[in-house]
Amino acid sequence: MLWLGFDSHDGDPLLPRRGSVFWGPPRVIEFSDVGLRYGNGPEILRDLSFFIEPGSFHFLTGPSGSGKTSLLRLLLLSLKPSRGRITMFGEDVTHLNQDRLLQMRRHIGIVFQEFRLLDHLTTFENVALPLRVLGQAEAEYRPNVTELLEWVGLGERMNALPSVLSGGEKQRAAIARAVIARPKVLLADEPTGNVDPDLSSRLVHLFAELNRTLGMTIILATHELPLLDKFSYPRMLLSNGELVIHD
Amino acid sequence: MIKVLRALLRGRNGSAAPIVPEKNVAGRTLLLMITIMSFLSAVTLGGVVLVQKSAIAWSADVGRELTIQLRPVEGEVMDSNLRTAVALAEATPGVASARALTIEESQDLLEPWLGAGLDLTAIEVPRLVVVQLADPVNADIAKLERDLSAVKGASLDTHAAWRQQLNTMAGTIVLSGLMVLALIGVATVLAIIFATRGAMASNREIVDVLHYIGASNKFVAGEFQGRFLSIGLQGGFLGALAALIFFMLVGTAAGNVLSSEASAQVGMLFGRFALGIDGLIGIIAVVPVIAALTAITSRMAVRRYLSQTS
Repeated sequence: MLWLGFDSHDGDPLLPRRGSVFWGPPRVIEFSDVGLRYGNGPEILRDLSFFIEPGSFHFLTGPSGSGKTSLLRLLLLSLKPSRGRITMFGEDVTHLNQDRLLQMRRHIGIVFQEFRLLDHLTTFENVALPLRVLGQAEAEYRPNVTELLEWVGLGERMNALPSVLSGGEKQRAAIARAVIARPKVLLADEPTGNVDPDLSSRLVHLFAELNRTLGMTIILATHELPLLDKFSYPRMLLSNGELVIHD
Repeated sequence: MIKVLRALLRGRNGSAAPIVPEKNVAGRTLLLMITIMSFLSAVTLGGVVLVQKSAIAWSADVGRELTIQLRPVEGEVMDSNLRTAVALAEATPGVASARALTIEESQDLLEPWLGAGLDLTAIEVPRLVVVQLADPVNADIAKLERDLSAVKGASLDTHAAWRQQLNTMAGTIVLSGLMVLALIGVATVLAIIFATRGAMASNREIVDVLHYIGASNKFVAGEFQGRFLSIGLQGGFLGALAALIFFMLVGTAAGNVLSSEASAQVGMLFGRFALGIDGLIGIIAVVPVIAALTAITSRMAVRRYLSQTS
């Protein structure tokens, strides 16, 4: 199929522009025979070859120790593959220099299982952090952060420190922090691991809403099978470092 | 002042909360260490200034005075020779006054060595003429020396050897003080490096989160450097303040605790511990110097830590 760019991401510098020649389907992420090992140890991930289309939502699942977190770290560009090639936003990221790597990483949001909010900052300040890193002044980012916090249901908890937030509130704050700078790709590493099943489901709905309204590409790692059954999104199943299902 | 500087140090986001927490154990330890180092630096610097000022004052005082000594010589009349010596001194260009010490004054000078209560009238003691110079630089001392050679038993003491010794001693103390200052500086740099690495390690979570959200090493280093500069300024200020209080207390204690004679001697030596404007400027200058040292050292340590851990 011949593609001449695509409408939904027109103007995005990291994606093919209208009129540029780009053969094949649009791919935000593409792995080709990727392998990963730590030091001289055995390969944690083997022969991973897959691609992710823009605006898609994938569950990444597999038993503990199957390599989900390592794969997410490769996607977050905090690890380099031992072999193979990773392409993100049309650019080979396997051998990027530090500056370019940081530029690329600003288009990737991450949500952790353990939230990783900074305890001395309020909810508002935690969520605003990516915008501060981008050099925005408070007057500039305050309306956006406030709006997003209200959208995720934390409008009343803006000035609360993480220590007084519930697990669900912390995770919603972490999600808000991950998406405030409007990344192209949102990665979530067991985001429902520290909340009850009912809240887990509501959090996945929140991710789904972000995917639907903002067109964000989402990869959500979880090993909770009941949660997967509630949603019809495609799954990437890792087993012993190999991708056995990618639908 | 510290509040204003800290507000400035918050830097690029105005009133936004500091990303690196202002109060944690590593920060407090570093603050205490820098305060101690600043105090030691300021006290050493103040001591050096005191010694140098006193040495200059001693040298100037001694340089303004000459002593003519008249030894008893058989066949010579001491009183006549004294009058001649005084007259010759007064006739010398650059001399303000000349005065012969009385026999009682001469005997008093011997008292510390020979003890009190002795009758020295039977012994002929050397007599002294104290010559005050109006202009120590242009006084014609060579002429006075030539003139005095005509007076039997007379000799001129310009205290040159004493002044030389005094200058050497003061120079040695000043040099030693500067070496101590340099060593304190090196120790401060090393301590800041270790404290910085400790602070970075204890704030590893913040560094990781900042990296995950796309912050560059430059941004992270900037956040930490602002924090360390703030600690350096506070530590430098507290250390310098403690040093000023120390000199004030020592000055007061020297006046109150010591006997009046001892106090007078200490006063002669150290000029009553008055630092003067140059001493004060020196101590106040410790604050920005320590702050800059902290900022530069911590910046290098942070950048190195980040390049190793990224």
